[in-house]
Amino acid sequence: MPKDAPVDPRGPRFSAWMTTVVLAIVLLTGWWRLLAAQTVLFAMCAFISLKLNPWGHVYRFAVQPRLTPTTEREEAAPLRFAQGVGFVFALIGTLGYATGLTALGTVATSLALVAALLNAAFGLCLGCEVYLLLRRYAPALARPQ
Amino acid sequence: MTGVWALLGALAVAGAIGVLLKAREGRISRNESVDLPAPVRDLLAPGVTLVQLSTTFCAPCRHAKVILSDLADRTDGLTHAELDVTNLPDVAAALGVMRTPTTLALTDDGTEVLRVGGVPKRDTLLAALQPHLR
Repeated sequence: MPKDAPVDPRGPRFSAWMTTVVLAIVLLTGWWRLLAAQTVLFAMCAFISLKLNPWGHVYRFAVQPRLTPTTEREEAAPLRFAQGVGFVFALIGTLGYATGLTALGTVATSLALVAALLNAAFGLCLGCEVYLLLRRYAPALARPQ
Repeated sequence: MTGVWALLGALAVAGAIGVLLKAREGRISRNESVDLPAPVRDLLAPGVTLVQLSTTFCAPCRHAKVILSDLADRTDGLTHAELDVTNLPDVAAALGVMRTPTTLALTDDGTEVLRVGGVPKRDTLLAALQPHLR
């Protein structure tokens, strides 16, 4: 798996706000194709490269030039872990909505939204909070990459 | 309509968890000393050692490392050591550590003085450690 370079930590926060908005639209409309697109996006970021995240490009071209530069950098591994967790919930949500199990779709999407909003608003590091728990209770899901 | 309630519920839950986590960040607690796993025992130095448990997937671990190594450099009898438990889940479990960064302050005989969850607050931590520093 290719390794991403460390990133400006404000980029992922911006991206998390955008993800929160997308997931909120899915909850309000039940539009499963939008959730499917978000699932693909999570998968590309988690399993291929963070560079494939379009919100990252929007941040670099439209937001970053307006902000004071920072030398602070964040490692890519925690971000990709979080995208992987988002992928699992979004996938379950998509399958739920698409197969008529709307309750499952709603619950999974809500959980993904909670995680995205915690990241956006509070800078929550999902990998810090759940990695050791996953290793303990679901070892197969949390093999280091 | 369900979607609206789900969205409101998600916003409320995220707010509650966020406030709770912020309140817990850097909080100092005292636990019973346990039998230290070998990788931790190997790190103990004379005086008090701050053993910081980290994982690859932990962004704030880097901030914690900067704060703790600086604190250790400026304080006599205090050493900082980082242990990556990404591939040592048993070590984390034996110590009852569920999240990273978690920092354990251990004396040279392996007694746990205190532990800090999240990124430590420098001054609060130093004040709590003071009675144990020679």
